[in-house]
Amino acid sequence: MKSEILYPGAFPMVRVELAAGENIKAESGAMVACSPTIDIESKMEGGFLGALSRKFLTGEKFFFQTLRASRGPGEALLAPTVPGEIAILELDGVNEYMVQKDGFLAGADAIVIESQMQSMSRGLLGGEGFFILKISGKGMLVLNSFGAIHKIELKPNQEYIVDNSHLVAWSTTTSYNIEKATSGWVASFTSGEGFVCRFRGPGLVYIQSRNPGSFGAWIRQFIPVSE
Amino acid sequence: MSPNALCFGDEFPAAGAPCFVQVDTGGLTIAFESDEGDGVREATQFSALTVSAGGIDHDHLVVKWNNIRGERTLYLKNPDVIRAFREAVPDHLDAPLAQVAERVRQVRQRRRLVWGIVGGAILSSVLGLWLGSDILVEVAVSRIPVEWEQKLGESAYRDFLTHQDVVKEGPAVAAVEEMTHRLTEQIQNNPYSFQVTVVKSDVINAFALPGGYVVVFTGLMKKAENGEEVAGVLSHELNHVLQRHGLERIVKSVGLLTAVAIVFGNQQGLIGMMKQLGIELLTLKFGREQETEADLKGLELLQRAKIDPSGMIRFFERLSEKGEGRMEWLSTHPMSAARAERLKGELAALPKTLPVPFTFDWKQVQASLGSQPVAVP
Repeated sequence: MKSEILYPGAFPMVRVELAAGENIKAESGAMVACSPTIDIESKMEGGFLGALSRKFLTGEKFFFQTLRASRGPGEALLAPTVPGEIAILELDGVNEYMVQKDGFLAGADAIVIESQMQSMSRGLLGGEGFFILKISGKGMLVLNSFGAIHKIELKPNQEYIVDNSHLVAWSTTTSYNIEKATSGWVASFTSGEGFVCRFRGPGLVYIQSRNPGSFGAWIRQFIPVSE
Repeated sequence: MSPNALCFGDEFPAAGAPCFVQVDTGGLTIAFESDEGDGVREATQFSALTVSAGGIDHDHLVVKWNNIRGERTLYLKNPDVIRAFREAVPDHLDAPLAQVAERVRQVRQRRRLVWGIVGGAILSSVLGLWLGSDILVEVAVSRIPVEWEQKLGESAYRDFLTHQDVVKEGPAVAAVEEMTHRLTEQIQNNPYSFQVTVVKSDVINAFALPGGYVVVFTGLMKKAENGEEVAGVLSHELNHVLQRHGLERIVKSVGLLTAVAIVFGNQQGLIGMMKQLGIELLTLKFGREQETEADLKGLELLQRAKIDPSGMIRFFERLSEKGEGRMEWLSTHPMSAARAERLKGELAALPKTLPVPFTFDWKQVQASLGSQPVAVP
């Protein structure tokens, strides 16, 4: 399986080359185009209850699509819904990532996607909700973001502060605490940051350069109000 | 040999270097993957190690030591490796390891506790809403103005009567009017102007629509032995209206959300909802509790109006026995021995008053309906 990001930037696509018999799973609706040798199947990843919990708990889609090169080698083009960069990660079986609910675009067949409950404080204040995706296993993982995607590398015990709504994915070897952006409660909110995540290494943190929630709030003022 | 741990150090990538950890008697051997077949190996003694818990869920065992290349940090998650490590470590690491295990346990316990509390709170509020829905329905019903209820009932009433043979005058109408008058003058603060119509039909039944529209079928009047029995049924039906049972049923069937909307001021929404759901007022059935309430309030009203209340009980009992016309009545008024018994008990508890008889002659009323009084089975 080979993958390549086409048109890097705001409107990228991923081209995945599949050998005969290979398959990948992707977010439902991610397929843009594919060779005629590829079959699209719909699959409830993790079984019915797993899919149900993913749908209701993380807001991810109930079905994933599986693209299978069942009639010979071929390629598929995949794209996310929102404008923003794509990152391809290689999982080797030991590193695992937590991915916020909209961050998953596609992955090799051998990667495992679970929805996992967060702690109460992270769920309430972290901005990703109470349930997020935990992705482990072996193979390619494709993440998508809103805006550009930026990788922060943390050495052991190195700290970094991230506005919670800019998070895309982070290694499970990192840990983070939710804290107020400034020392005062009022200033925390008037500064526009509210709560932030203090990450501590080692590991990787992927962030997106735009905040989807703020963008939504901004665009709402231009939408005509109907009766 | 697939990797089972991640090793961090200055020369490794930030995501960590996948490696294979092997626990020996004296220490750890770490083999790093490399492209050229046999990888680099590093070994360390147990004496050099410190341990702690780490990772996003505090479920990694973090092992640290220093070697000539700098600090090494190993993140272990594989349960087999952790077990082997715990079994092999010398005494000086036992206490720190126990602390790590305790810390992991605490984190998990606290998380479970917090979720348990939150889950419990959610569950209890859902239960509360479910059990409290009756109260909500009552509040919603109390917010609906009577005029609006009358409008609702009137249209259904007019619709119904256009297809029916209405008895407009005669002894039967006069008798029903007398009963209605006797009963309604005893109702305090009555917001309804009751309209009772006699409809020619062999159906042994009577029904009430929201807003005070009551229909008595001649079949019921033929079946009754005296005026008090019909007055009993009438009193029961009037109390369905007074207790706004019809509205309660409507609000319940249109759903809790509409009830909430009504409580917060959007009463008009109910009409639209009823139309959407196709709720027919005429087929609306009252609940068991509503029937009981109408029975008991009806009994009290009869008592106040000085109409012999035992007529009501007798008539109900007779209808519940086998006989013709039983089905119509029972389909809307499920009769049980317990219900009659409760009414009898209630009647016994009420202060005795001397009944004032009606001015009409019941036999004449029945004769005017075009048939001989039905023999009591």
